[in-house]
Amino acid sequence: MDYFLSEEQKVIKRLAKRISDEVISKVAGKYDKEGIFPRDILDLLAYTELTGVYIPKEYGGFGGGVMEMCLVVEELSRNCAGIAVSYAATALGAYPIMLYGTQEQKEKYLTKIAKGEAIAAFALTEADAGSDVSNIKTVAEKNGDFYILNGNKHWITNGGEADIYVVFAVTDKSKGPRGISAFIVEKGYEGFYFGKKEDKMGIRASSTTELVFENCKVPKENLLGREGTGFIIAMKTFDRTRPGVAAMAVGIAQGAYEHALKYAKERVQFGQPLSSFQAIQHMLADMYINIEAARALLYSTCKMIDSGAKDYTKESSACKVFASDVAMKVTIDAVQIMGGNGYVKDYPVEKMMRDAKVTQIFEGANQIQRNIIASEIVKEL
Amino acid sequence: MNILVCVKQVIDPDKIEYSPATKTVKRNPQHLMNNPADLNALEFALRIKDTFPDSRVYTLSMGALECKERIKELVELGVDEAILLSDKRLAGSDASATSYALSCAIESLGKFDLILCGEHSLDGETSIVPPQLAEYLGICHLTSIVDIKPKDQNTLEVVKKIENALARFEVKLPVLLSVKKDSNSVRFPKLSFMIRALLYEPMILSLDSLKDIDVKRIGLEGSKTTVDEFKEEKIENFSCEIFEQGSFKEIECIVDAVLKYI
Repeated sequence: MDYFLSEEQKVIKRLAKRISDEVISKVAGKYDKEGIFPRDILDLLAYTELTGVYIPKEYGGFGGGVMEMCLVVEELSRNCAGIAVSYAATALGAYPIMLYGTQEQKEKYLTKIAKGEAIAAFALTEADAGSDVSNIKTVAEKNGDFYILNGNKHWITNGGEADIYVVFAVTDKSKGPRGISAFIVEKGYEGFYFGKKEDKMGIRASSTTELVFENCKVPKENLLGREGTGFIIAMKTFDRTRPGVAAMAVGIAQGAYEHALKYAKERVQFGQPLSSFQAIQHMLADMYINIEAARALLYSTCKMIDSGAKDYTKESSACKVFASDVAMKVTIDAVQIMGGNGYVKDYPVEKMMRDAKVTQIFEGANQIQRNIIASEIVKEL
Repeated sequence: MNILVCVKQVIDPDKIEYSPATKTVKRNPQHLMNNPADLNALEFALRIKDTFPDSRVYTLSMGALECKERIKELVELGVDEAILLSDKRLAGSDASATSYALSCAIESLGKFDLILCGEHSLDGETSIVPPQLAEYLGICHLTSIVDIKPKDQNTLEVVKKIENALARFEVKLPVLLSVKKDSNSVRFPKLSFMIRALLYEPMILSLDSLKDIDVKRIGLEGSKTTVDEFKEEKIENFSCEIFEQGSFKEIECIVDAVLKYI
């Protein structure tokens, strides 16, 4: 389907596709099996300037928006969502700075992120605060020119590998969600350590760790926005980055569909290729329909966000939910079409099915997304 | 340093079609690609520019206007200016006529410190254009190069492959070098170069814009070789055995099958 992307967007998609097909496809299996962080691929994305597609030109980026970021994530995910999420998590860490950073913070951090000289991460989740964001326990107390952070963060993508972390901590417990603040914490700050590395079902090429703050000294100029605006910063960031998860899901689904289609045309049973059986044809048709529908919703949402629309919470959640559910369904069907060969690790669809699962879970589980969408549509009545 | 890389647009061997009537390869513009060894030559040029950023990298191609789309791919890699020598009178030029036409184009364009070519093109396979071109230009040349490193603005260290040996040379500029295929990894394009290529138009040179060219020495008339016959080679005694993946015993069967041919 032609989505009438601009010539520049087509170039970005073509470049990301080439890297995905020529480089990522060759290492995806090994990186998944051995849990290798794709530093070399991120270096290549930096060289080709794809690290800066969503960052404003004044900070050394390409000046694109959510659409450009999603086009890259989608194409990388066609071959390895684990590698794609290592790229996308930097965007998740960069967006709060883009949206709420001071001029100095933007110049200091976004320029490095745009050039690929720094990887970023977003640290909100805790052991007892996942979907229930307002229950975070990490605290930040002001002490002279510093904030002192204490607490633990869990399941932080790019943990241990990132150079810049946007960390959320309670500065005033009495105010509930309005007492949360956001801070930019650099790797190497005193009192900042990395804890357990997670052994995950999917996206195994990405690093997911615990962050530990023990009297971590963060300079006061690293406060993002004002004290107490952390919850809003997190929610506004998610509104912009949920389409990134949708893009990841569309990419995984597209990759699985392509493998299943090729296999169905080559695999002969009862004297004819699988693709000649109507049962298989209908599955392939449904995969195609769902992927295109998810992509259409994703691209429309990206265009809406990049157009400068003020409120796009429900659209952002809707594309994330729909695309991630499609990715799960399509990858399961791809494994089914490929039978035994889909279930073993010799073909990549088994990995894609594992990778797809997390898109229904992270950046707000799909159940929470449905709550958000329902809340928005009820408000509009 | 001014560097010129000669890049030929050839037909992708996987999509090649012959015309027995005209004894030529059909040049479907959609099936054109940049000759791989020429891209290895270009990579060395771009590496020199990485070392000496003031260097300018030019490419020169000869062919129909349909080559423009493939030439844009050279701009995507970081070429400063791409030039296409295109004139209907050049049609049918053999290697000798091509070398002569390219030398006239280069002399019209100006002085270059370094001229790089791929060792051979996928379609012609003669490997004689680079040495002939150097002779026409009256400059030193070395063939079968597998590595190039700039020592300073006037000197290069080059490695030449001779059978199973490698010979290291230090060469003074100007020089023409022909580069072996796969002698390096051709870089990926950068986004900014790709955006530049969107609107980039290669400089088109016609024969009329060249100084002192003798049109009797180009095209079919000026060619010293003609194709007597063109036929597809039949591969005989070719057999294929398919083994389903699986057990150790099956792997042993594959090893036995391979050993029969060694």
